[in-house]
Amino acid sequence: MKLLIVEDQAKTGQYLRQGLSEAGFATELAGDGETGQFLALTGDHDLLILDVMLPGRDGWQILQAVRQAGLDTPVLFLTARDAVEDRVHGLELGADDYLVKPFAFSELLARVRSLLRRGASPSQDTTLALADLRLDLIRRRAERAGSRIDLTAKEFALLELLLRRQGEVLPKSLIASQVWDMNFDSDTNVIEVAIRRLRLKIDDNHANKLIHTVRGMGYVLEERHD
Amino acid sequence: MPRLSLGGRLALLFAACTAAVSLSAGLLFSHASERHFVELDQQLLSARLSQLRAHLADVDSRAALDDHLPALRGELSHQSDLALRIRGNDGTLWFDSRAGLPQEPRQPGLATLHSDGMDYRSLCQALPNAQITLFLDITHHQHFLQRMQQLIWLTVGLCALATALLGAWAARRGLRPLRQMGAVAASVNARSLTTRLPVAQLPEELAELGQTVNAMLQRLDDAFQRLSAFSADIAHELRTPLSNLLTHTQVTLTRPRSLEEYREALHGNLEELQHMAQMVNDMLFLAKADHGLLMPSRQALDLATETDALLEYYAPLAEDAGITLLRRGEAQTAGDRHMLRRALSNLLDNALRFTPPGGTIEVTLSPGLHIEIANTGPAIAAQALPRLFDRFYREDPMRHEGSSEHAGLGLAITRSIVLAHGGGIQARCEGGWTRFVIDLPQTG
Repeated sequence: MKLLIVEDQAKTGQYLRQGLSEAGFATELAGDGETGQFLALTGDHDLLILDVMLPGRDGWQILQAVRQAGLDTPVLFLTARDAVEDRVHGLELGADDYLVKPFAFSELLARVRSLLRRGASPSQDTTLALADLRLDLIRRRAERAGSRIDLTAKEFALLELLLRRQGEVLPKSLIASQVWDMNFDSDTNVIEVAIRRLRLKIDDNHANKLIHTVRGMGYVLEERHD
Repeated sequence: MPRLSLGGRLALLFAACTAAVSLSAGLLFSHASERHFVELDQQLLSARLSQLRAHLADVDSRAALDDHLPALRGELSHQSDLALRIRGNDGTLWFDSRAGLPQEPRQPGLATLHSDGMDYRSLCQALPNAQITLFLDITHHQHFLQRMQQLIWLTVGLCALATALLGAWAARRGLRPLRQMGAVAASVNARSLTTRLPVAQLPEELAELGQTVNAMLQRLDDAFQRLSAFSADIAHELRTPLSNLLTHTQVTLTRPRSLEEYREALHGNLEELQHMAQMVNDMLFLAKADHGLLMPSRQALDLATETDALLEYYAPLAEDAGITLLRRGEAQTAGDRHMLRRALSNLLDNALRFTPPGGTIEVTLSPGLHIEIANTGPAIAAQALPRLFDRFYREDPMRHEGSSEHAGLGLAITRSIVLAHGGGIQARCEGGWTRFVIDLPQTG
């Protein structure tokens, strides 16, 4: 997966590049609009991350040029301005997502992965599994090591999200938005409590823990051998 | 159309009034004098005509007239401005005492005629065999009347001009308090919002306006004070975490440490930074609200469903704290789902923090778009209730600094969302319950 980052703030660009590279993406960085547009049109990228305010050409102009060239590469906008008309403008021009600074890197990473997955056909799986944990989506049943676990509807939805995106660190805000449809930063520890309860049911009687807390970032469902 | 100054407007109106009054007086006078002349003329003419008739009583033809002509001429010679015409009943002219008389009207009676620059009043009477018309030369009178009319027009014009000038002067004097108000208003700037108009010295008509302007200044002053306090609060709120970050980072870097210690330090910083980011986002939201940039969408919402979703979200937290969550009633509205959820979520979040274990939080919806979120808990001082919605307001000043848990913006955000929906919110405290009451406008 190859990403292009167009960001004129040297530090921001560098950090984003480092973070995304370490998350396993091949990344290219352009520091101004002209270079950014040239790279966007000539390189073969899976995703463009564009800052709106750029010297030379702004993010919107680059997006326009890209769309005019017939490319449907997904575009994620980063902006320090959060005016409604900006958002509308970006979406009208064909932006796929929009992130307002300051944002958490874990949030950016989660959005990047969502966008990259968007192209792929949605999975038709009827069961999700990790190690000895199985989730039957049709019968709404969860099992660990063959024994059934009783989950509430929201616990089931939370586990489904974690399983579908296993190995990815999911920030609390993303979990709140996907499972409870709470699309704002609620700084309560509701998610912590919900995860703790889920853990109690999934992991407590098992040596092989699957739900892990990544401090300051979020939660991840994966098998760790250490 | 160019805008006219108040003074100019008043002066023109004064002038128009004076012109109208003097014009009608003049016209009335001119009409009356004309009527008077007509009456005099009629009296004169009918008196002379009856004398002349006496001479013509037995005249039955043109030839018979000749005998009477000397007597008639004698009669007429007394008064040079009189002239006589006698016509037979067949229409033939028997006699004209003077050349150049105008054609008399067919009908008997009084008429006013004009011929060759001369004006006549005529009185016509029928005799058994003839018709006699007596003409009176009234050119003089008519001249007099014309001159008088000219005089009237001149007076009207002069009066109007004089009142316009005097009116302009008077209006200027009269409007002086208005200019003074303008001068005061012009002197108001961010540093002198305490300036007020001297309402006691203003004339009655302007006092109300003055009070309105003063009230506006008061509101501006309040808003400005709040904004200044807000900026100071922002600086203060950011200063604490920033200073923590600086100290922590520098201390960490003063000597080599284990990997674990570095990791700990970064985690500590991350928490501080996340809190700051949250606060900045919240403040930007409030700033947008202040600029009227919150534009809630209007979609049909079932508030019961929304409330239940929120209660479900908070249920684990409430269960852990031993708090009962309840929803009563139903209500429908049109509003922005995300924003209203956020507003209610902040209230629930607030309620959860202040409800003691074993307590209850009740959300009551009524169809009149009345939302009440009540929780059991310690009473809040009455004077603190309205301040709960102030930015960075915390009930307990001790929980303030360092504890990055809550910046005290939640209720301010709730209020701005409710206001953006055209509603109102207030806090009450009674009988061991703290209630937040939201009133949303009824939508179609």
